[in-house]
Amino acid sequence: MKKIGWFVLALLFLFSLQATETPAAQDEMITVYNPRGIQPPIRLIPMPERGSIEGKTVYLVDTKYPNTKPFVNELYKILKERYPKTNWVLKDKIGMYMQDDPNLWAEIKEKAQGMIMVIGH
Amino acid sequence: MTNRFVELASTTAYKKGIPKLRIIYTPHPITDRPADQCRKFLEGNDPHTGKPLLDEIIGAITKPLSEEEKKRGFIKREPRPRFLPPDTADNLQQLFIDSNFTDGGPIILPTKERVAEMLKGTSHDPEEIVGTMRPSPPHEAWEYNVEMVAVNAVMAGAKPEYFPVILALASTGTSSLFSSTSSFARMVLVNGPIVKEIGMNAGIGAMGPFNQANTTIGRAWTLISKNLGGSGKPGETYLGSLGNPLSYNNMCFPENEEALPEGWKPFHVQKGFNESDSVVSIFSGWSYNNIAWYSKLPNQDVMKNWLSHFFSFGVSQATFMIDPVTAAYIHDDGFDSKEKLADYLAKNSTTPAWLYWQRRERQIEMGKNGTEPYASYLKLGENADIPESRFIRRPLPKQNSDDTLTESGRAFLRDRIDKDNSLEILVVGGGTNTYWGGGDFSYMSSALVDKWR
Repeated sequence: MKKIGWFVLALLFLFSLQATETPAAQDEMITVYNPRGIQPPIRLIPMPERGSIEGKTVYLVDTKYPNTKPFVNELYKILKERYPKTNWVLKDKIGMYMQDDPNLWAEIKEKAQGMIMVIGH
Repeated sequence: MTNRFVELASTTAYKKGIPKLRIIYTPHPITDRPADQCRKFLEGNDPHTGKPLLDEIIGAITKPLSEEEKKRGFIKREPRPRFLPPDTADNLQQLFIDSNFTDGGPIILPTKERVAEMLKGTSHDPEEIVGTMRPSPPHEAWEYNVEMVAVNAVMAGAKPEYFPVILALASTGTSSLFSSTSSFARMVLVNGPIVKEIGMNAGIGAMGPFNQANTTIGRAWTLISKNLGGSGKPGETYLGSLGNPLSYNNMCFPENEEALPEGWKPFHVQKGFNESDSVVSIFSGWSYNNIAWYSKLPNQDVMKNWLSHFFSFGVSQATFMIDPVTAAYIHDDGFDSKEKLADYLAKNSTTPAWLYWQRRERQIEMGKNGTEPYASYLKLGENADIPESRFIRRPLPKQNSDDTLTESGRAFLRDRIDKDNSLEILVVGGGTNTYWGGGDFSYMSSALVDKWR
């Protein structure tokens, strides 16, 4: 009877060893995949040279974020008041604010020396 | 630009290749500000630099370029090792959370063994490019292959048999975390034999947290959007002011095709696929209403009235998720197809006057000058329902097939050519009551799951 008791105790001990995660297992070093995708390369776009705007044409481009017209109009007014020797041209970009407008960019390159774009929100 | 978007503007300029772009910040917001307040903003300081705002604007277009601004060539990106440095499971779990690789919750760590098991769910080469994805059109697109999608599928807790659905979702190239201040939500619908094959739940609680496939496929899309689509970094690549709780698993569920009333086609068949195809479809919207309501009116008229007054950011599209019991009642009222129901709802819903006139300044003037129907509409008063639907649209003209379009792009185009309303009807749920749900979701595209088996 005593022998059976020791046998049961030994079995319980062995089971308990299996059931308990050892500190060594918790500290085990594992390797996992990087979950991130591939970022594209970035090519630097050269910025145009700057200079005086006196006697030059500068476009103020409104991207037409909803309900920001009063701000754009005020900016246009204040620029004309404070810098009257510059030819300020106020233009709406086509479409919604995220739509590209290559024709306008071409027009600005041809006719202007600078551009200020109002984004929002 | 307003100063709420300093991080967004500077990181976007960097990624576009103009890291020193001269950006001037105004106080936020400039939306809905009267002219006198706008003038004060302009006469005040740039809140980012503390210097006079107007001087900053003029300086930006006149000051000569610095040496840094004159630089040409390429910017080196962070290297992308295939594996992360070895660490303990606990540390890696925390690293994933701290690095914004998860949805804030713990994930299944993507070990070599687990990813290898996931890859058994497809016949495709692990290095095959699946697509590119970006947070919204102005952002840069990231590229990803089959193995990278498998890594994120493991993280979401998906089984290998779900992997073709997840690959099809990833192939749409659409981020589930669209970057807009309006906190978009996305929705995933699965149709076809794959639904049963992988044990998705289309019955009781289909849209709730009760099924591994529904839950993890939807969650995988969010992880893919973050990690493979460069999305979901608040302030930089995610600007949703409130965020959206639907983004956790993007409302992923299958249509209950077995419970469709006679004559009602499964959604993927409506979009031009064969009934035997397995298809994943995606929708875009903001919000969802669960309508548990008894009325003396027929269901279709309660729906019509809900549609008239439902208001969110999305005001011109909607999707209904109808319980099979309700669908059967509607069918018995003479609606022998989803299209007939959508047509009825679109043509009979109205628009609250305040919403109708919101962006119709020209029509208000025309109405004041006696032009019809605006003159009559104005006479109805500001609390009236204007008898014009927001959900009728002009279908696109038929055009020759465009080989440059992706599969999901073709599905979208086909839909726009065929439909003259912006309503979708889905049947889902377990038939425990006469309920239905609705949201401002519009159909985006579909992708064939079978292609990714």
